[in-house]
Amino acid sequence: MKKINVLKPVLVSNQQRARENRKVFDKMNSLVINIIGSPGAGKTSFIKNIVTNLKTKYKILVIEGDIKGQIDSKTISRLGVDVIQINTVTECHLDAFMTAQALGRIKKKYDLVLVENVGNLVCPAEFEIGEDYKLAILSTPEGDDKPLKYPLLFHLARVIVINKCDLLPYVDFGVGDAIRNIRKENPGATIFEVAAKTGAGFDKVCKHLEKEIHARKKKNTR
Amino acid sequence: MHEFSVTRSLVELCEQEASRNNMKTVRRINLKVGKFTGFSPDSINFYFEHLKADTRCHSACLVFEEIPIKIACRDCHGQHVIEEPTLLCPKCGSDKIELVSGREFFVASIEGE
Repeated sequence: MKKINVLKPVLVSNQQRARENRKVFDKMNSLVINIIGSPGAGKTSFIKNIVTNLKTKYKILVIEGDIKGQIDSKTISRLGVDVIQINTVTECHLDAFMTAQALGRIKKKYDLVLVENVGNLVCPAEFEIGEDYKLAILSTPEGDDKPLKYPLLFHLARVIVINKCDLLPYVDFGVGDAIRNIRKENPGATIFEVAAKTGAGFDKVCKHLEKEIHARKKKNTR
Repeated sequence: MHEFSVTRSLVELCEQEASRNNMKTVRRINLKVGKFTGFSPDSINFYFEHLKADTRCHSACLVFEEIPIKIACRDCHGQHVIEEPTLLCPKCGSDKIELVSGREFFVASIEGE
């Protein structure tokens, strides 16, 4: 019996594909955000707010990842921006190969690409798709302990959004506790508190995104 | 559930490596798995039993070695192995820490003939 040293990551092909996707996004000068959260955390409503606020100033593309159906892509296309739906069928996350298929359908350049991953706090965290960064959404009915129960996502996300803050009087959720729990996994994360239903807090999120869109363009023209 | 696609990648990678090195039958796949990943060895084994059929790995077994979560503190300059991925220095409480290990998931080697 012989032994061969391999020393390669199991997800090596996904990582390579993600790097290729990254090059395509770089050519377009796009800021690409991989949005991850539980089913019902408000990922689509979050995207709707961003799109409504920024669509007149920037060219936005939304990529919708769902196991089945076109519900979210129909919701987003009603706002008048381009949207591509990916159905993952059996998979609980988007990977770099599925994203590459969506990339093949892109005909224009976009300033901002928002990718809504499949609703799940576990699996999507492991798969790079070629994004600039991951944004995690935690909604108040889910509980302030979730960053400790699903540490990987909250560790990897550069931006973390606490959504449904309009429900705070009715749910058992301490914003201070949630932030402390997030900081234990990710001391440097940028945290926003919003209510996608009312639009509260989105001025700050949009200002932040605008800064990043401009920084992204500068970086690429250097 | 994501272990299905992870295991599929694992079988593909081992198949490629075995073929490149003229290994007809893989008997053992040595894996290193960081404790700060979301991969469950039980799930990977479950899918592997189905996915290995008709490949060079059909009679292979998986051997997992866990890599602990290790952090380095930029304040007290210590390195610590931690049980839970709470990224605070267990010695001085600082949050200026760097993850040294725990996020790995790779095939270390394959054995066979």
